[in-house]
Amino acid sequence: MPVTSSRAAVSPSERSPYLPVALAWLIPGAGHFLLGRRWRAAIIFFSVTLMFVIGLLMRGPLFKIGGADLLSRLIQFGGFLGDLACGFLYFLTVWLGYAAPDIAGHNPDYGSKFLVAAGLLNVLAMVDVYEIATKQKE
Amino acid sequence: MHITLNHFEVSIIFALIASVVLGLVTKRTDRERVRYGLYCFGCFIAALFGIGWAMHFLHG
Repeated sequence: MPVTSSRAAVSPSERSPYLPVALAWLIPGAGHFLLGRRWRAAIIFFSVTLMFVIGLLMRGPLFKIGGADLLSRLIQFGGFLGDLACGFLYFLTVWLGYAAPDIAGHNPDYGSKFLVAAGLLNVLAMVDVYEIATKQKE
Repeated sequence: MHITLNHFEVSIIFALIASVVLGLVTKRTDRERVRYGLYCFGCFIAALFGIGWAMHFLHG
């Protein structure tokens, strides 16, 4: 009876969940794509990108670390993490020199929330990728 | 280039995109995903109108 190695049957993406999760952060939907969930990858990429682009079109300012007092610093840091969770969308935006001013008005205000919400949706997608990679979920 | 949206349009767009992702990542079968996505969208809309009317009556 032939003995098969269980290690040989396991693909690289099944060995460690960290590569798909890191990819999912960097490119929304890429983690699902790597794990063979192509439709879900496409929907996540489209949804997160759409949310982020709408935020940019509404001239939402990106959060920056800093602030005058502790509460402002906490808010700015939390928002910065949300922006950063968008992965390449955030880096591309910063690299292209996007710098919307933080002005009063409901449109820039909603815009900044859309930018952060895009990152938070991507975090949910990363958790989903982790669960799929660790076989907790189909 | 920029767009200007009113509160209602922003809320609907947000509810739509968030519902799609929430439905997609939280459930295990396609049927459950669609149902949960629709449920989330319904909850967002209910909250939108509920809070809107509450603010209308509270603020006058």
